[in-house]
Amino acid sequence: MIRLENLSKHYGRLAAVDSLNLEVQRGEIFGFLGPNGAGKTTTIRVMMGILRATSGRVTLGGYDVEQEPEKAKAITGFIPDRPFIYEKLSGREFLKFVGSLHRVDAALLQRRIPELLEHFELSDWKDELVESYSHGMKQRLVLCAALIHQPKILIVDEPMVGIDPRGTRMLKDLFLSLAKKGTTLFLSTHSISIAEEICQRIGIIHKGKLIASGTMADLYRLAKVKEGRLESVFLDLTQDGTP
Amino acid sequence: MSSLATLLSPNLLSWKNDFLRRGEKKWLRRAVLISLALAFWIGTYWTIKRVLVYFQTVYDLGPALAYQLLLIILLTFFSMLLFSNLITALSTFFLAHDLDLVLSAPTSPATFFYSRLITTTANSSWMVLFFSLPVFAAYGSVFRSGALFYLWVILVLPLFVIIPAAIGTLVTHLLVYFLPARRIRDTLFFIGLFAFIILYFLFRFSRPERLVQPEAFGHFLEFLSAMETPSSLFLPSSWATEIFASVLFQKPVELWFFYPLLVSYALFLPLMASWISAAVHLSGWSKAQESLQGRRQGHRLDDMLNWMTHPFPEILKAIMVKDIKTFFRDTTQWSQLFLLLALMVVYLYNFKVLPLDRSPIPTATLRTVISFTNLGLAGFVLSAVAIRFAFPAVSLEGRAFWILQTTPIALRSLLWSKFLLNLIPLLFLGELLVFLSNTLLRVPAWMMTLSLITIFLMTFGITAIGVGVGALYPRFDHGNVAEIPTSFGGVICMIFSIAFIGATVMIEAWPVYLLVMEGLNPGTAKVGGWVIVPSLAVVLALTTAAVIVPIKMGLNRLEGLKDQP
Repeated sequence: MIRLENLSKHYGRLAAVDSLNLEVQRGEIFGFLGPNGAGKTTTIRVMMGILRATSGRVTLGGYDVEQEPEKAKAITGFIPDRPFIYEKLSGREFLKFVGSLHRVDAALLQRRIPELLEHFELSDWKDELVESYSHGMKQRLVLCAALIHQPKILIVDEPMVGIDPRGTRMLKDLFLSLAKKGTTLFLSTHSISIAEEICQRIGIIHKGKLIASGTMADLYRLAKVKEGRLESVFLDLTQDGTP
Repeated sequence: MSSLATLLSPNLLSWKNDFLRRGEKKWLRRAVLISLALAFWIGTYWTIKRVLVYFQTVYDLGPALAYQLLLIILLTFFSMLLFSNLITALSTFFLAHDLDLVLSAPTSPATFFYSRLITTTANSSWMVLFFSLPVFAAYGSVFRSGALFYLWVILVLPLFVIIPAAIGTLVTHLLVYFLPARRIRDTLFFIGLFAFIILYFLFRFSRPERLVQPEAFGHFLEFLSAMETPSSLFLPSSWATEIFASVLFQKPVELWFFYPLLVSYALFLPLMASWISAAVHLSGWSKAQESLQGRRQGHRLDDMLNWMTHPFPEILKAIMVKDIKTFFRDTTQWSQLFLLLALMVVYLYNFKVLPLDRSPIPTATLRTVISFTNLGLAGFVLSAVAIRFAFPAVSLEGRAFWILQTTPIALRSLLWSKFLLNLIPLLFLGELLVFLSNTLLRVPAWMMTLSLITIFLMTFGITAIGVGVGALYPRFDHGNVAEIPTSFGGVICMIFSIAFIGATVMIEAWPVYLLVMEGLNPGTAKVGGWVIVPSLAVVLALTTAAVIVPIKMGLNRLEGLKDQP
C-alpha cells in the first residue's frame, strides 16, 4: 500500500533522507522510529508531496505521488507534527472545509461530521471557534479532519505530542481498530512505548538512513539483544548510526 | 468552480466569524476605524475636487492638467499594486501556514493557483481600491460625466487590479524558483530592490516636472499636446487613463482599442501565471521550506555590538544586542530598509526639481517657507518610518514575551531600550533628510539651525509615541511583521504622531512668520533670532510630554498583562 523506493532528499550537501526503501502492506501499522533530526518528518513530507524528493519514488495505493498526486492524496489522510487549523473557523466549519477539499459528497459529509465529533467528544464544541479550543481538543479535531474522507492510508507524524493518558489510550484504540478495518497506518514517532504496543513492524531511521526494519523479534535479533525492551534496541542501534 | 469556492471558504468564513462574534469593545474599535477611513475618504475627495476645480480655471489647460494628474494617480496606484502583490504573493503562495493542509489534499494545481491569486489580489488591492473611489468620485463630479463614467470605472478597475496581481504572482514564482533554495531572504531583497527600481522608473516615466515647465516645450501648442498624451503607452495605467479621458474630457480616444487591450492582458497574464505556477510552484515551495536561514555571523559583529552598547546598563544592553541581531537576521524586518531608501530618494528628488525661480514670491522667502513646511513633511516621513520599526518593537517579542515577563527585569528597561534603539537611527534619518533638503533649498543659516533643532526634538516624541503606543496595543500573536503597523494600534499611533507634529509646527509658525517678514521687508517686524526661543521652549516641554506619556501608558498596559489569563 505504501512503497518507498530509493528515496533521497538532500538539503544542499546534507542528506536528510538517504536511499530509503520501505514497503507497508494493507492493514498494517508501521512504526517509523528515530532520534530527533533523523529524517522522519522529511520522509513524511516527501511522502505527502509537500517536499519534492531529490531522487527515488513514493507510491501510495499504487499511485506515484509525483506523477499522480491528486489520486495519491485522495486516498491518504495526514496528521502533521504541527498541524495548522484556521483559528477563526468553528470545528464543524473546519471539518466541512477539509471534507470538501477531499471531495467528500455533501450528504455523506452531513452524516460524517457529527459522527466524528461525537466519537472524539467534540460535539459540544462544534460551533465554537477553534481559537477557544484547548491543545488536546485541537489535536482531536485534526484527527477528525484526517479521517473525514475515510482514507485507505493514514500517515501520522508524532501522534501523541501533548495528549493526556486518556487521549493516548483513545488514539491507540482508534489506530488498532482502523488497521483491523484495512487502513494502512504509517506512524512516525520517537515514543518507543507506542511503537512497541501497537506497531506490527518498525523501521528505525538514523541520520537519514534506514538502519533497521522488521518485527520486534527481527529487531532484537539485529541488535543482538535476547530479550528486553525496544528502548535498549533503539539506543543500541542509534548509538553510532550503524547496526 | 466548487473546489475553488471550497479553497476560498476559510478566508470568507473567518472574516464572517470575526465580524459577527466580536465583543462590544471591538465594535467601538471598528467604529473608530470606519470614522477614520471615512474622514480620509472625504478629505481625499475634497482635496482632489478642489485641485480639479482650480485646474478648470486655467485657460485651455484645465482638462490637460486633470488628465496628467489622473495619469500620475493611476501610475502611483499601479506601482503600489505591483509591489503589494509581489510581497503578498510570496506570503500566500509560499509562506502561508495552511499550505501543508491544502496541498496535502487532492487539490488541482489550477484550482490552487486561482484561489491563491484571488486571495492575493483581494489582500493587496482592497485598500488601493477603497482610496481610489473618492478620486474617481471627484473626477466624475467636477467633469459632470454622469453614469457612463462610473460604468467605465466599474468595468476598468477589476482589470486594473488583476494585471499587477498576475504580474506580481508570476515574478514571485520565478524569483522563488530560480534563486538558490536557501536564500528566501535574498528573494525578499530582490523583491525590495525590484520594487524600488520599478518605482523609480515609473516615477521618471511620468515626468511630473513637465507640468510646471511650459517653456521647455518651445511652443504652447507643443506643450498642450504633450500634456494630452501619456508619457508611456506601454503601461496599463496609461490605457486606463485613456479610457477615462474619453468619457471625462471627451478626448478622442480609440476606446475599443484600449479596453480590449486591458481585457486581453487581464485574461492572458493570469493564464500565463497559472502555467508558470503549475510548472514551478511545488519545486519553489519545496525549496522555500528547505531554507536554512540565519547562519550565525562571526564574532566581529558581537564585538562591534558590545562596543556600541557599552555605555548602557547591562539589562538595556542585553535587550538591545538581542534586538539588533534579530533585526538583521529577520529578512522581513531589514528588507524594509529598501523601502526607506526609495522613500528618501524620491523625497529629496522632489526638492531638487522644485521650480522655485519661476515663482512671483522672492526666492529666498519662498525657500524659507518651503523649508518650514518641510519640517512637517519630514516629521510625517519619520512617523511613517516609526510606524514600521518603532511601533512593532514590543510586539516583535512575540510569543517569547514570557521570557521577559519571567526574568527579573523591569518592563521599564524593556521600553527604554526599544526607545533608544529606534531613536538613534531615526535621529540620523531625520537630521539627514532635513539637512539635505535644506541644503538643496539653500535656506538661510537661522532656518537651517531651527530645522535641525526642531527635527531633533520631534524625533524624540515620534519615537516614544511609536514605542509607547506599540506597547499599548501589542500584537504578540502576529503571523507576519508587516501586519503589525496596519493594526488598530498602528492607526492610533499615526494619529498621535501627526497631532504631535502638527502642534510642534504650529507652535513655531508665528515666530517663523515674523522672521520671514523681517527678511522680506527688513525693519517691518523688528524681531531678531531671539523670537524663536520661547517657542522652542514650548516645543521642548511638548516633546518631554510626548516622550513620557506614551511610554508610561505603554508600561501600564504591559504591567496589566500580568493580571490577564
